Amino acid sequence: MKKSPSSKLRTSGPKRVNAPRNAETGARGQLSVEAQKGRFRSRIRAVMFGAFALLSGSVAAGIWGVDGKFSFWVDKVGGTETSFTIGVGPLWLGITLAFAASAVLQFVRGAAFRWRLAIGLIAPLLVFGLLARLLDGTTANLTVFLTNTLSFAIPVGIGAIAGIVAERSGFLNIAVEGKLLVGALVGSVVSSVTGIAFLGPIGGALIGALISLFLAILGIRYKVDQIIAGTVINIGAVGITSVIFQRILQPYREFNNPVNIDPISIPVLSDIPVFGPILFALSPYFYIALGLVLFFTYMIFKTRWGLRLRSSGELPSAAGTVGVDVVRLRYRAMLIAGLLAGFAGSFISLGGTGGFAPNSSAGKGFIALAAVIFGAWNPIYAFGAALTFGMASSAASLLAGLGVKFPPQILGSVPYVVTIIVVAGLIGRVRGPASAGQPYDQG
Amino acid sequence: MRLELQKITKQFPGVLANDRISISVDRGQVLGLLGENGAGKTTLMNILSGLYRPDSGKIFIDGKERVFRDPAQAIEAGIGMVHQHFMLVPVFDVTESVVLGNEPTRGLLGSFDRATARKQVVELSERHGLQVDPDAKIESLPVGVRQRVEILKALYRKSDILVLDEPSAVLTPQETDELFEIIRGLAKRGTSIIFITHKLNEVIAVADKITVLRRGAVAGETTPKKATSAKLAEMMVGREVQLTVKRSKSKAAAPVLQVDRLRVLNDDGKLTVNNVSFDVRSGEILAVAGVQGNGQTELVEALTGLRQSDSGTIKLGGQDLTNTSPRVIASAGVAHIPEDRNRDGMVKGMTVAENYILNTYHLEPYSSKGVLNRNAIAQAAEQAVRDFDVRTPSIDTDIATLSGGNQQKVIVAREFSRNVKLVIAAQPTRGLDVGSIEYIHKRIVEQRDAGAAVLIVSTELDEVLALGDRVAVMYEGKVVGILDAKDATRERVGLLMGGIQK
Repeated sequence: MKKSPSSKLRTSGPKRVNAPRNAETGARGQLSVEAQKGRFRSRIRAVMFGAFALLSGSVAAGIWGVDGKFSFWVDKVGGTETSFTIGVGPLWLGITLAFAASAVLQFVRGAAFRWRLAIGLIAPLLVFGLLARLLDGTTANLTVFLTNTLSFAIPVGIGAIAGIVAERSGFLNIAVEGKLLVGALVGSVVSSVTGIAFLGPIGGALIGALISLFLAILGIRYKVDQIIAGTVINIGAVGITSVIFQRILQPYREFNNPVNIDPISIPVLSDIPVFGPILFALSPYFYIALGLVLFFTYMIFKTRWGLRLRSSGELPSAAGTVGVDVVRLRYRAMLIAGLLAGFAGSFISLGGTGGFAPNSSAGKGFIALAAVIFGAWNPIYAFGAALTFGMASSAASLLAGLGVKFPPQILGSVPYVVTIIVVAGLIGRVRGPASAGQPYDQG
Repeated sequence: MRLELQKITKQFPGVLANDRISISVDRGQVLGLLGENGAGKTTLMNILSGLYRPDSGKIFIDGKERVFRDPAQAIEAGIGMVHQHFMLVPVFDVTESVVLGNEPTRGLLGSFDRATARKQVVELSERHGLQVDPDAKIESLPVGVRQRVEILKALYRKSDILVLDEPSAVLTPQETDELFEIIRGLAKRGTSIIFITHKLNEVIAVADKITVLRRGAVAGETTPKKATSAKLAEMMVGREVQLTVKRSKSKAAAPVLQVDRLRVLNDDGKLTVNNVSFDVRSGEILAVAGVQGNGQTELVEALTGLRQSDSGTIKLGGQDLTNTSPRVIASAGVAHIPEDRNRDGMVKGMTVAENYILNTYHLEPYSSKGVLNRNAIAQAAEQAVRDFDVRTPSIDTDIATLSGGNQQKVIVAREFSRNVKLVIAAQPTRGLDVGSIEYIHKRIVEQRDAGAAVLIVSTELDEVLALGDRVAVMYEGKVVGILDAKDATRERVGLLMGGIQK
């Protein structure tokens, strides 16, 4: 495969200078600086896994014999409850072993170890363990816990796809938060006025697309800095929705009385004891979100559209010079991102809360961007990150509701802390689209 | 196919970039388009590839007039561009890069048919003898191979007219020879080729026909058989040109700059200067040759204090200058003509006079007690403008409005205005017209004769051979050889530039 004309030169007598060619080995079999850094990072990861193993081990030892009480709804939401107990000690022993195994594998396998996946698998266990540890004798309803997880993960996950599509095209979509908020407001108003359930999400999606188009015109046509333009939209969204809420939605309640989109129970499957209410009696938004995740993962990585999208985000001039219309492609990507973000926003007001409340997006748009980064600009991974972040948030609110003496804000801050660690590049590098945020000049 | 451009004119604000240019190339012919930087070559090619629209003039392909509104239409008409800066996505593989824009697909969703694309790329590369690994990531490929991918891109689009813009800029002389072979092969199979360059020997080597551009207009046409380097240079510049620099033998004395086992990392933390040691003696010019991106930039940045080195020492006349500041280095007697004058050489938006005192403004007589002395500055700047023949309306003119050659003269004047022990000149004549090149070469040789040590870094082999009393070659971060001028032949230096040692 490496039979280039220059290799002919190489074999025809003259000796080639022995200098680093690839990233792994250097001149005298030494590691190149890049490989050294990679090794350094994986050592740090191994040490961190090890430290977490020790930490959770001491937790396990400290609470051996304590039980955590959990319950499920057996037949339907709010129906017959069944409760069970788990030894908190053994649970933490399991977490300890998982961390220890990761530390060992990380140390042995180095860069080849899929540490991100390992964190993704341990994180839910860890949140669960923290919950059990902090319950302090009260009973936690796991069906509620999982439902809360999803109601956090749905807007965050779909918002993350919006971020991914835009950034893969080369546009930094900082304004997901603002689109969520306006999508929530408009979704509620449209649903209230028409009285038709499915028009709410459509209304939210359309207003999201409209805002996105405005942002795209600022960033693409007028080359306004994309972060500043996005920030303006985020701040503007808070102001405008608050004013509309105070002046219109509060005095005239009929504008904020939407047809809720309730969980649908899938026949037969939802009758399965315990699992039925958890897996098969969920909001339609969840099933749509799963579909969107799979659809966009396929589109981005397996289709012509995706190839062009990615090239436009990496090196737009490469796409432009082979006849791809980069400007139009970016506008379209922004429209799709707007539809997604607005749709995700409509869940906030229609997914069971009974209408719009000021500031109800509550930073989910920003956590979506964190999920984009943690998910390495891949919809499936990003949705996984959204689910993990959702568990942390759900555990926080559950504990707050139970009156446990533990500041729930600490759990709520998990997504941000994790993102900072990932972005800082200490434990590993994520590489986003190279040209995201830079305007494209044709000709 | 036969391509003909008739009386193409393109006006930019303040510049007539193309003035009624007419060129033509026949089927299977190689047209060498020769001209200095700013002669209008790139504008003309951007018009041909559909990026710009001409103000007037027509394009004919096989006798039929064509109008290109965007690059897609030019590609459609069979015109393939190989840009000077490669248009390849680093994280894509070769197959994806080649087919981007014309991807084979299947199904409703437009799924990318990778298997078919890969087969087409393999076929194409075999048919034209352009070997590449279809599954290799672009970022892992050396530049010579990347260029092959660029050519494949054009061939994949069934281009009958291939335009190569300064294709040898990033290649070693040997890689350039390989490229010439590829070009001849393509021409033999019927592709028309336009080869754009400012290097005289290259057009003579590869072209069937030569068109010379000067200041936006056609200065003349000739063939390699009739042309000589001297004659082409004269056509290109408009007057007789001294192609070699006149200089006496060097009277090298004691070492001034001593670099010992220097290691420097680039911005990505990659070891880019690897254990480099050399001396530069007073009264000699050490020219550093090498293909762009082999550590020269980082070496110069470390020597001038713009980048911290990882280990090793830099000494100037016994004084340790390792990892000190640019100001300490400058006041120790180092003159620095930077590689990228727009970024490191001057402040656009400031006047010629202000740029002239950029690194001495804090000294007497230009300032005292922190207040600038306008009169002293004006006097010195006026003197410098006269001495260095800077063509500027006044010393209060914004330096950004001057031509590249005059900007460079201001920089050289500033750097040589101090007591200079060491001159570090990186790409001192990049992008300049021939007149300015001659002038700056002369000034550099003067500094050497006055007893300064001179370090020149250049990717132009001609410049290295013309100026160097000794020639050092860098390859992948190492100095792979230091030759005396008499041993530094084009072939030997060329092989070293490609990392091949005898």
